[in-house]
Amino acid sequence: MELHDHTLIQLRDAIARREVSSEEAIRASLARIDSLDTGENGLNAFLEVFHDRALDDARAIDRRIAAEGAEAVGPLAGVPVAIKDNMCLDHGRTTCASRILENYESPYTATAVQRLIDAGAVIVGKTNLDEFAMGSSTEHSAFGPTLNPWDRARAPGGSSGGSAAAVAARMVPGALGSDTGGSIRQPAGLCGVVGVKPTYGRVSRYGLVAFASSLDQIGPFARNCADAALLMNVITGHDPLDSTSVDFEAPDHLTELERPLEGLRLGVPRLARSDQNHPEVARIFESAIEAYSGLGAEIVDIELPLMKSGVAAYYIVAPAEASSNLARYDGVRYGRRAEIGPNDDLVALYARSRAEGFGSEVQRRIMLGTFALSSGYYEAYYNTALKTRRLIKNEFDAVFADASGPRVHAVLTPSSPEPAFKLGAKLDDPLAMYLEDIYTVTANLAGVAGVSIPGGFVDLPGAPKGLPVGLQLLCPTFAEASMLRIARMFEKTGDWNSRAPEL
Amino acid sequence: MAEIKSVELKVGLEVHVELATRTKMFTRAPSPAHPDYDDSPPNTLIDPLVLGLPGALPVMNREAVEMSMLVGLALGCEIAEFTKWDRKSYYYPDLPKNYQISQYDLPLCYDGSVYIPLPPTPEEDDEHERHKRIGIIRAHLEEDSGKLLHELPGGHAIDYSVVDFNRAGTPLLEIVTQPDFVNADEVVAFAQFLRNICRFLGVSEGVMQKGHMRFEPNINTIITLDDGHIVKTPIVEIKNLNSFRSLRGAIEYEFKEQPERWKKDGKEMGPGAKSTRGWDDVKLVTLMQREKEDAHDYRYFPDPDLIPVQVSREWKEKVRERLPELPHVRARRYIHDYALHAKEAAALTDEHDVCLFYEETVEAIVQAIPGVLSDRAGRLAANMILQQGAKRANEQAVLVNELGITPGQIAEIVKLREEEKIGSSAADELFGLLCESGGSDGGSALRAESPPADKEDTAQRAVPPMTVEALAEQHNLLQVRDEGQLDAWIDEVLADPANAKTVEDVKGGKTAAIGRLVGGVMKRSGGAADAKAVRERLEEKLGG
Repeated sequence: MELHDHTLIQLRDAIARREVSSEEAIRASLARIDSLDTGENGLNAFLEVFHDRALDDARAIDRRIAAEGAEAVGPLAGVPVAIKDNMCLDHGRTTCASRILENYESPYTATAVQRLIDAGAVIVGKTNLDEFAMGSSTEHSAFGPTLNPWDRARAPGGSSGGSAAAVAARMVPGALGSDTGGSIRQPAGLCGVVGVKPTYGRVSRYGLVAFASSLDQIGPFARNCADAALLMNVITGHDPLDSTSVDFEAPDHLTELERPLEGLRLGVPRLARSDQNHPEVARIFESAIEAYSGLGAEIVDIELPLMKSGVAAYYIVAPAEASSNLARYDGVRYGRRAEIGPNDDLVALYARSRAEGFGSEVQRRIMLGTFALSSGYYEAYYNTALKTRRLIKNEFDAVFADASGPRVHAVLTPSSPEPAFKLGAKLDDPLAMYLEDIYTVTANLAGVAGVSIPGGFVDLPGAPKGLPVGLQLLCPTFAEASMLRIARMFEKTGDWNSRAPEL
Repeated sequence: MAEIKSVELKVGLEVHVELATRTKMFTRAPSPAHPDYDDSPPNTLIDPLVLGLPGALPVMNREAVEMSMLVGLALGCEIAEFTKWDRKSYYYPDLPKNYQISQYDLPLCYDGSVYIPLPPTPEEDDEHERHKRIGIIRAHLEEDSGKLLHELPGGHAIDYSVVDFNRAGTPLLEIVTQPDFVNADEVVAFAQFLRNICRFLGVSEGVMQKGHMRFEPNINTIITLDDGHIVKTPIVEIKNLNSFRSLRGAIEYEFKEQPERWKKDGKEMGPGAKSTRGWDDVKLVTLMQREKEDAHDYRYFPDPDLIPVQVSREWKEKVRERLPELPHVRARRYIHDYALHAKEAAALTDEHDVCLFYEETVEAIVQAIPGVLSDRAGRLAANMILQQGAKRANEQAVLVNELGITPGQIAEIVKLREEEKIGSSAADELFGLLCESGGSDGGSALRAESPPADKEDTAQRAVPPMTVEALAEQHNLLQVRDEGQLDAWIDEVLADPANAKTVEDVKGGKTAAIGRLVGGVMKRSGGAADAKAVRERLEEKLGG
């Protein structure tokens, strides 16, 4: 087994046992990135790679491990990880895959990223995304799309497509992404890796460049549930710098991971079995249900009638917040500033800087959101969307809670309705692209936890090893630990996460 | 066309108060409204949040909320049990996020009222108390913007603009009154009253030149025509007035101008008719800034980065306990307890620091003179501060508490006077000497000559301050009550042929004439004699 084939925990343990140095692990990661990510047919998962800095950091970690032992350094001592380029880091650039922040350097580091660093991880680079995390294919990056490692003609999903592809292609054993409407889970599904969207408030958003503040949440990508649980252990926790971060401690996500949940009841919403699923996705979904049945789980047919309204509500709430969050990119203090003539006024400076700096999808959402918040339309759009959001939350509460204990422990759906789609296939049809989020957005609207795990592979032309299909579990707020236990039960029934794309 | 018969003024006021918290409204960057940071160089009180950098998040400053609650309680407002933060969107280079965090539909404080003291009219006597009730619609908390400058600090001309973000994010309390004012006097009286309250509450230094308070009056006039018709002129909002003088000037100008404008353009109050004007401090006129107020759509919506604020009963009560006795309540107490006149009480409560100085002086007198009644102490302290103190403070353009004399020293003067060891002119002279000595630890006038302090010794122990009595003695201000000396002066006066007629008058029963003889003795003593003792002695001698 080569170094890059190690899972996060395998690599961490090898480094801790001094079988491998952090420097060697980082070199292996960088070599893998260099060989797969750039040039023609390069996956383009990374927007920036910190070659020198990562090796310096690794050598420093090696010295500390030699002096203090790996345990003292932290639970991620010496391992390479990547972060999505919408998280601030106090070196390099933080671009959000946008022209407007093309040369922006953050003076500070995001809390979640700092927690990785404090745990001994080495940040090897920043990954590609749809501009400002708006999109479901990573094609809306100003710096070119990321390719799906399973079939380079296909999209990796998005918006955290760079992180998902980097983990799937084994450039790094773990990465962080952000999930506003499915931006971790959908690409995890399409790239055949594990992706966790924690409960809203579980992970600090400080330093995550905001897309839609009430929906955004940072979460991990990894090749299996245990690695994801370890990353969760590191990044969760209260942060006084984020008012929406919750002030109670998360349990250890690893200790009980291997213990199956007894008396597991899984809810399957009617929508998840709708005919809008690709037949192959439907087939894999049914076999997953059978697998859980075989493990003794009770499968409960449930109604989440508003699940189908989620996308509509989401595409009001998220753009509304985005229109306000992105107002600061005006070319005045930092970022791209357009050239203006002596007779141009302030409005020209704003308009031109933003028109040049933002891509079409971002502009579309800013316009949508500005409209939804405008006087005369606020009630009809924004307020209606908020009401829908509240009702969706009520629906989840009803499904998860009952006087006699939970009706179901988790809701099971496909992560998205079809396997990875061809690059460009939905680029000119925003609505089709938005429907990629049909199973994922409700979790963000309701604030609950979600995870996507590999559910199986389908054979489609162009992918010699098949294309992965993701399985989504949604769980009550702050139930990430049991959610990962439920995910792990399924993970053990197959070998999907040991498959690697042919690269 | 009908002629104007009379014009009435109607004014509502918006006041922005910068709260003097140590850190800003939503971040730990220091605030320029705090005295420790008010002279900071441009763009030094900043951090990622202040600059609106990507990824930065706001965290509410609890102290700013408590200060706002204090002001709200002092203005008789209800405190909301539930309130939230909203984003107000507009683009301007001094607004780093291009939205301002404010409170839209659920202000922290609402529905209050205060009675403000008004100065007596010329027809009224000085003792008459006049008050007016002013309704408070709301007081909400928000963040201030930065400052756009069109020349460099120091006044160098530039052909571009620069921004100083020091002020950005400073907690700003916006207080909105009902349109209850009918003249500029009332508006200015309210503004001064509010400033004083804020200073008593310790929520603002209230330094107008530093922009701690900014006023925005909404002004219109109601014109009665001689045919009985009534016309309301469009509301004019005057932006950013930062002195009482400009506040008065702008209102008086609009009162005069609005009927003239109406005569020319015929515009009346109504939707879309509101305009915004600015005050030109040099030309003393208001100038049009924006024609139609209603054109702006701020797209308010709740800030998803912040959680709503729940004000529990316990929290509110805890804040209420912090509420000090307010100036107008103190004034009433002085009138009641010390029998001060309304005007005196007002003068003593006008300035927070003077008021505290007064109260410390009363307390010092009670301590210094065993058995003195507190109402007497209150009266004596008032006399010293409003006479000896105010006279000198006016001359030097400082406050009484800044003269250098301490409450303890004033109490000593009062004590000497009460013990009849000094006369009134000596008291005044002593007051002056102690002011010049400057410093609460006793300045040079109070330093007894002594060898240089031992290094190990503390300064206080090294040089014991001279008592006020010793100072009086040093300057020959103590009254002479030595009978031998008094008799010598009295005998000289009685022997003076120029006084023979007066002596005869007194002996003949015209007792009032004795005053002239007392005066003669006082003159001979150079003011050092105790006038009361002189009188008693004269009465004895002339066989009363």
